[in-house]
Amino acid sequence: MGAIINPFILYGLCVLGGAGVCLALPRGGRTPQVIGALLAALIGGAALLFLGVKAGHDHPNYYFYVFSLIGLGAGLRVITHPRPVYAALYFILTVIASAGLFLILSAEFMAFALIIVYAGAILITYLFVIMLATQAPEEGEIEVLADYDVNAREPLAATVVGFLLLALLTSMIFKGIGNLPGPGNALGKDVAANMPLKAERALRSAGLIKAGETVSMINLEEGFIQIQDLDGQFQKIERRDWPKSLESTNIEHVGFNLLRDHPGTIEIAGVILLMAMLGAVVLSRKQVQLDEEAKRAQAHRLGLIEREGGSA
Amino acid sequence: MSDLLTLAQSGYPAPIAGVTLAHYLFVSAAMFVLGLIGFLTRRNLIIMFLCTELMFQAAGIALVAFGRYHLNFHGQTFVIFILTVAAAEAAMALALVVLLFRRKESLNAEAWQDLKG
Amino acid sequence: MLSQEHITGHAATAIDEGGMLTMLVPALTILAVVLCGLFAAMRVKNKAPAFVTVALLAASFVAVLMTYLNLGVEKTWIAHGFDWINFSWSGSENRKLTTHALIANFSFYLDGLTILWMLFVTGLGTLIALYASEYMSHDVGAGYCRFFAAFSLFVFSMACLVMADNFLLLYLGWEGVGLCSYLLIGYFYKKPSAVAAAKKAFIVNRIGDLFLALGIMLIYTHFGSLEYTTVFAQTETYIEALKEGNLEVIPATVQLIPLLLMGGAFGKSAQLPLYVWLPDAMEGPTPVSALIHAATMVTAGVFLVARTYPLFLLSEHALPAVAWIGALTAFFSATIGMAQFDIKRIMAYSTVSQLGYMFCGLGVLTSVGGAFHVFTHAFFKAMLFLACGAVMHGFAGQLDLRKLSGVGFMRGWKVTTVAMLVGCLNLAGFPIITSGYWSKDMILGEAFANPHTQAIGWILLLTAGLTAYYTFRVFFRVFVGPVQYEMGDEHHGAHEDAHGHGEATHAPAHATHATPHAPGWAINTVLAVLAISAFAIIPFTYSHGGWVHTMIEGSTARYEGAAAYLGHGEHAHGTFLGFEAHGALMVVSGIVGAIGIVIAWWLHYAGRTTAATSRADALLPKLGPIPRWAQHKWYVDEFYDFLIVRPLWVLSNIFHFIDQYIVDGIVDLFGAAPSLTGKAVRPSQSGELHSYAAWMAGGMAVLILIVILVAT
Repeated sequence: MGAIINPFILYGLCVLGGAGVCLALPRGGRTPQVIGALLAALIGGAALLFLGVKAGHDHPNYYFYVFSLIGLGAGLRVITHPRPVYAALYFILTVIASAGLFLILSAEFMAFALIIVYAGAILITYLFVIMLATQAPEEGEIEVLADYDVNAREPLAATVVGFLLLALLTSMIFKGIGNLPGPGNALGKDVAANMPLKAERALRSAGLIKAGETVSMINLEEGFIQIQDLDGQFQKIERRDWPKSLESTNIEHVGFNLLRDHPGTIEIAGVILLMAMLGAVVLSRKQVQLDEEAKRAQAHRLGLIEREGGSA
Repeated sequence: MSDLLTLAQSGYPAPIAGVTLAHYLFVSAAMFVLGLIGFLTRRNLIIMFLCTELMFQAAGIALVAFGRYHLNFHGQTFVIFILTVAAAEAAMALALVVLLFRRKESLNAEAWQDLKG
Repeated sequence: MLSQEHITGHAATAIDEGGMLTMLVPALTILAVVLCGLFAAMRVKNKAPAFVTVALLAASFVAVLMTYLNLGVEKTWIAHGFDWINFSWSGSENRKLTTHALIANFSFYLDGLTILWMLFVTGLGTLIALYASEYMSHDVGAGYCRFFAAFSLFVFSMACLVMADNFLLLYLGWEGVGLCSYLLIGYFYKKPSAVAAAKKAFIVNRIGDLFLALGIMLIYTHFGSLEYTTVFAQTETYIEALKEGNLEVIPATVQLIPLLLMGGAFGKSAQLPLYVWLPDAMEGPTPVSALIHAATMVTAGVFLVARTYPLFLLSEHALPAVAWIGALTAFFSATIGMAQFDIKRIMAYSTVSQLGYMFCGLGVLTSVGGAFHVFTHAFFKAMLFLACGAVMHGFAGQLDLRKLSGVGFMRGWKVTTVAMLVGCLNLAGFPIITSGYWSKDMILGEAFANPHTQAIGWILLLTAGLTAYYTFRVFFRVFVGPVQYEMGDEHHGAHEDAHGHGEATHAPAHATHATPHAPGWAINTVLAVLAISAFAIIPFTYSHGGWVHTMIEGSTARYEGAAAYLGHGEHAHGTFLGFEAHGALMVVSGIVGAIGIVIAWWLHYAGRTTAATSRADALLPKLGPIPRWAQHKWYVDEFYDFLIVRPLWVLSNIFHFIDQYIVDGIVDLFGAAPSLTGKAVRPSQSGELHSYAAWMAGGMAVLILIVILVAT
């Protein structure tokens, strides 16, 4: 099988894409930003097109190309839009496109988690901070963008570095790493053994076990589930008879992987989050300057000192 | 040169619906580089952090894709950790940004050069 | 004279534990050092350090004397102080278990040799400390304390050296006396010549000490022990083999040991070619010259040879080499001494010369004669130095015999003059009434008694004449004749400045020092005691050493007869021009000494009217350049300077250059590398977040490039 894409075409696209991104970066209106953005988007589309054409499959997965294009395009706008609020909103679009790609990759839980955590939590924080850290224009004035938002810093050099890196990264990808381990166990066959209750519920709802009967053993190697009836008799249910609902879901897999294989890491992650929360609270606490009068009032309210009486 | 860069497709897991792992990695790399360029060019601290989030996103795509094509869930698990770190980073970084903005009334990263010590 | 019957008998000498009283000697001397240190710390400004030192040294002398009277010298006593170095370990050689030990305890080996040496070391030490109490009085204060601390430390080290029961303790003492010698020669440390002399003494001694150290190491590797008892027990078996005529049983290693020890002895005792330090050592205060550089320390080499005499007997060449070098040194330094004008230096060269006699005595197989000469020499040479010191003290450092005359006729100089006369008579070997005559005669007689050493005998005889001449040259020029003097330029106040205590307490007393002042009671007492004892020892030592003989007889230096088996035996049959050697020499050496004295009288006394000139001045030009060469010490110092010092200086400069620019350069380069790197990359630390990120991205790109290029 030949190259998925001709490397020289790839490098050419990298150069052109770099030029587009460079142009698209905000430079105070001195450069044709729109042309750059269009060029970059065009090049991105072209690259994906080349990838798609060369993939040579009868029914290409159009969703992949759509989500990729949306993701990359929105990413381009994140870095080129002079207004932080818009950049943040475009980032939400990128997150949604990534979630789409996750869905294609059958990572449903991660897709929704991404949207909830990123779009729902982190980006909202960003938006709040953007609002906090932007001076509102005076009444009647036209809002003027800050200079540091309008003018990109050394766009050419940064783009050269970035696309050089991209060329190298893609070279790595297309060169192949070789000797990767082959496909492991089929997805999700081992998880059911750890969930006898789920297996029992699935079998029960499928009518394969009746009231009074219990699951006594789940043997995945040989592919049967042993059940015990009221009389103490054992009975096997072969794999071919298992109901569809017995298959474990993505979230179960992720959960098992997370809690069984990385228990220490998740603890550490929890600690990191806690510390980050404390840090954020400490850092962003505003030092309120109280004058003497306010202090005294506060002290009275707390009952720390007696109200100054008539002696004064 | 062409040989050098020939896709070693045989070593990869089978393509899924005509899309190989390389496709995802390309998208991931492109997104990462966009984030990097943004980080290098933009001067607004908030947008710079947004660009790091973009790079996290790219890393997440690569991880999930690897996991899918290698038929395990470690990739997805690590995306959870990326989310954790991203959330922690966002909390801390944004708190710092607010603090810095209060000091200088500016979000320009170049205004803080004297922090080099 | 000493023949077969002496061979036997000594083997039965018993070794016993005892003599712990001698432990007082190191204890008391160290106590004196500590007390002097305390006095210095308390800034004592009186003579307390001197009297403490004198008292403690006298107590040491009494301790040694009591030990001698209580124990006698028939047996060898071992006094065990404490375990100092005591290791043992086992190993295997050729699959046999062997046990090794390194034992060197702080223990004393007390035989006649030890007692003899300790008696005159502590006795003379006491007297000279008393003398120094007056002599050093111009320096009362910190310098005084320093002087007496070093003085006591010297006696301590000498005690370790002499009384050690093993070679390691001996070496400790050996280095200790070297250190004290260095400290005391350099006592006037602000005076460049004194510092140079101290360094010279120390460095030349190092050369000898290297040989001694090598000899001791060889002793340990060969005999497996450093203790005298073990080593000498093994030499005894070799001696037995020698008696049976088995010359070849003695390994070459063993034959090498005495040669190495000899090198050490020649360094310490100022023999050719290492004698050059001793004349310069006269830069030190005169009591130091008297005690260390005349009476005791310089005889340490003689002591070493006497102590290890059994080892020397095992080598065919060691004792002849000792004898020849001794004889040549005796003659060579006598010729230099004849031409000097500095009276202390003349005495220094005579010391070197007399040390040569002592080595000759050991070399020609009369260890009794050698030890006897050490003993008598210690008294009369100390006396001569102290008399010279009295003159120097009284005449403000004047030592030039051309500028002093008729001192004996001046008021208050009687005792000094008499002491000087007695010392000169002893040194010149005036017949019958001087102990120096008897001891020198023993060596001369023994040299002629051996037909193989006749040549040495003639050299020594000639040297005896020269000695008599130059000794009385000093006496006739300085102490008799017309009264004329010129004060030295050395004001005592100068020392005070040199020592930094600028208080004016002593300066006025000496500031008007334009006239000579006669010695006080301390100096006179010491000189009188020494003069009397120089005579008093004659009855005890009459006839072949007498008392000294009994002391040496039971000691390690006693194996005279065994050497006969080495091939240079039959010594008893030599004659002096056909007469019986000892008898003839008694007469001849007396005559030679008298001739020397008469020549000195004729040249330097008779008809002399001024201090500066004498008949000798008229005679000198007829001898050509020889007197000038002799006055310049035969240019030996210049020769050494050219041959050894200059090349070493050049070499050390080269090494210094290499060290400074190459070795240090490399080190500095390592040091400079981080700093230069830091300077080079500092601009990249701009504080700009963006540039940091760009560098990171660039670095990542480079890493990926490397992976691509390498991993294919």
